[in-house]
Amino acid sequence: MTAKAYYQPQSLDEATGLLAEHGLSLLVMAGGTLAMPLINEGISLPEKVMGLRRAGLNYLGKSNGNLAIGATTTLTQMLAQQEIPLLQEAARNVGGWAIRNMGTVGGNLFAPPPAGDFAVALLALDAQVKLVSKSGARIIPLSDFYTGFMATALMPGELVAEILVPEPKGITAYLKYGRRHANTPAVVTVAVHIQFEGERVNDARLALNAVGSHPFRARKAEQAMTGSRLDPKTLESVASIAMEESDPFTDAVASEWYRRKMVGIFVRRALQQIAV
Amino acid sequence: MPAKIVNFTLNGRLTEVMVKPLMTLQTVLRAQLGYTATKAGCRQGGCGSCTVLVNGQPMMSCLLPVEDIEDQEVMTLEGLAQDGELHPLQKAFFEKFAIQCGYCTPGMLLVSKALLDQTPHPSRDEIVAALTANYCRCTGYEPIIQAVLATAQRNNGHGK
Repeated sequence: MTAKAYYQPQSLDEATGLLAEHGLSLLVMAGGTLAMPLINEGISLPEKVMGLRRAGLNYLGKSNGNLAIGATTTLTQMLAQQEIPLLQEAARNVGGWAIRNMGTVGGNLFAPPPAGDFAVALLALDAQVKLVSKSGARIIPLSDFYTGFMATALMPGELVAEILVPEPKGITAYLKYGRRHANTPAVVTVAVHIQFEGERVNDARLALNAVGSHPFRARKAEQAMTGSRLDPKTLESVASIAMEESDPFTDAVASEWYRRKMVGIFVRRALQQIAV
Repeated sequence: MPAKIVNFTLNGRLTEVMVKPLMTLQTVLRAQLGYTATKAGCRQGGCGSCTVLVNGQPMMSCLLPVEDIEDQEVMTLEGLAQDGELHPLQKAFFEKFAIQCGYCTPGMLLVSKALLDQTPHPSRDEIVAALTANYCRCTGYEPIIQAVLATAQRNNGHGK
C-alpha cells in the first residue's frame, strides 16, 4: 500500500476541482471493484486516489424522457429498478451480490473486456454519457466514449458524472455466455434492441462484449438485418457478419477461435428470442 | 496526507481506528482489531471469504477503503452469535455439516443472514443466487443450501 492520499469529495464540484488540481496523477475510483484488486496485488501503485462514494452521484432520475443514472449508482440499484428490464438483466449478469453492492454503472464503463457486461446493454440502448470537468459539461454517445483497449474519450480533468438512457422503443434481449452460470467472465455477451415496422426490422442495435477491445456495436450486422424479416436465412447471415466484425482475444476464459464461434451462436440465439 | 481517524460501528460497538490512506476494511479488521473471522482469500473480490455486512448489505472488505465506511454499521461473523448463543444459521450449518475446512464459512453465514433478513423465506434458487460469489471448495454447496433452507423453514432466520 503506497497511497499517500485518499480524497473523498462530497460533491461533483469538489471532485472536478480535485481532478483539475491533481491532473492525471489522481486515480479516480468509485466502487473499487476494478481498482482495488490491482492495488492489493501491487500491479497498480497510485499515490493519490479519489473515491467517489460520497460525491452525490448515486441516484436514478429523469431528464428529458431519459433515465438519468448517476455514475456511482450501484449495480444492485440497477437490478432493483424496473423501468428498463434490459438493464436489470445486465446487472444480474455482473459479479455476485457483494460485487453488485459495490460496483457502479459509471465504473463498468471502464471495465476492460471480458468485464463490462453492463455497459454493453447501455450501448444497445443508445445511452449517452455526461462528462463533467471544472470548466463545463458535455454529453456524448456511449459508442463514441470508447476509443480503444482501456482508452476512452475522457479529456484530462473530466469524469463520467451521469449516464442517460432513452426509453427503449423496441424489443430487447440480453445473453451472456460464460463458463459458469453466474459470477463469471464472459466468453461473449450480446445485447440487442430491435424496432419493427410490421414484420420487418426498422431499427437495430446489436452490441457485443468480450470479443473486442471494448464493448462495441456490430454496425454491419445491424445494417444487414435492417429492412428484413428475422427469418432463419437473415439470422444466419447476420450472425456470420457479427463474427467477422468481432476482434476476439485469447485469455484464460476462452480462445480467440472459440469466442468467434460463440459470437455466431449467441447472436443468433439472441435474435431468435426476439423473432419469436 | 497523514493517518486519519475513522469511526464506525462494529458489531454494535462504536469503534475508532487510525488508518493510512486507502487501507482496506479487511486489513483493519484482521491486523489492527484482531477480528480474524473475516478471511483474506484472494484480495481480488473474487472468492467471497472476506464478505462483511455494511448496513446489512454484503460487501467485499478486501475492496473497501475503511475511510468509506465512516459512520456506517459493519457486521462481521464475530457479531452473529448473541450472548453466547449461536445464531440459528450457525446451528443449522453445524447440523447439516455445511462446514468442512471452515474458510468460506464466515462469508457464507453473513451472506445467508443478509438474505434471510431481506427474504425470510427464500426459494432454493434465491439462496443459490445470493451465495453465487462465495466459493467453497469442500462441501459441494449442497449442505450449505440445505442449512439456509432449514433455517428459513424454522422461521427463525429473520432478525437476530
